[in-house]
Amino acid sequence: MTERVSEHLAVGEVVADQTYWVTREHLVRYAGASGDFNPIHWNERVAKSVGLPGVLAHGMLTMALSLRLLTDWLGDPAAVIEYRVRFARPVVVPDDDTGVAVRVAAAVIEVRDDGVVALEITVRVGDQKVLTQARALCRMPGGRPGLAS
Amino acid sequence: MPIDPSVVGRVYPAQPYEVSREKIREFAEAIGDANPAYVDTDAAREHGHEDVVAPPTFAMIPVMRGFDILMDDLGIEFARVVHVDQRFTYSQPLRVGTRVETTTRLDSVRAVAGNDLLKIRSQVRDETGADICVSLATLLVRPEDSSDRDSRD
Repeated sequence: MTERVSEHLAVGEVVADQTYWVTREHLVRYAGASGDFNPIHWNERVAKSVGLPGVLAHGMLTMALSLRLLTDWLGDPAAVIEYRVRFARPVVVPDDDTGVAVRVAAAVIEVRDDGVVALEITVRVGDQKVLTQARALCRMPGGRPGLAS
Repeated sequence: MPIDPSVVGRVYPAQPYEVSREKIREFAEAIGDANPAYVDTDAAREHGHEDVVAPPTFAMIPVMRGFDILMDDLGIEFARVVHVDQRFTYSQPLRVGTRVETTTRLDSVRAVAGNDLLKIRSQVRDETGADICVSLATLLVRPEDSSDRDSRD
């Protein structure tokens, strides 16, 4: 129980992989909760008038979903010490009940001696990466039950 | 109209924001995140926190307050802004009850293919002045007649 979780991780290992569905309802909820009322995230007419293909998910919502994959895995949300992403492609959210599937996976890039783990996060819609250059640094809890043996 | 590069280096007044329990809950629900550390004090204490903490990207709420002031200052219309990249570096989590102050600085402006790329640095600190997180964001501002251009977010 005193061993570090990071001692059990191998470079290249996929530690988490999850699909999240994003609907127009999620965008409205996120707009309200975050205070980001940019109309391109809820108004098709405005989105198209500025040359976008349709209503887009907030980049920050996609970032939040991809980070949630990590915090679910880590348990402690404060274990994430750095996270960066590039919003490479828009996530177009259709006006239907199912929405768009965003698939997120996290793989280990580096395990440091101090217990910090660097991860690469891939975020895809279909076979296209919507976030690129997504990297996280996480402080691994020592001997967390269920992960460390 | 391109943004005048003389605005680079401009620092905007620190914006106060108080992290409330209900806002943390609302934000966690909006991103579909059921981590108990956001709503249950005992669960947060198991991770060594005094009380509930906010999801890491919650930091964007105080950061955006600064963006709003910057965009207002530069006359940028919100619907023409797309988020190109984002980095957060955390020194400590955002805890409930913390009154943060966010300082916003325009680090650079670059014209690329008729668009303006803005790099914005935001420093979120607690009431004692201790760092909570640093946000580095790149925003792309599309020109007014942009209906034939590529888009990203």
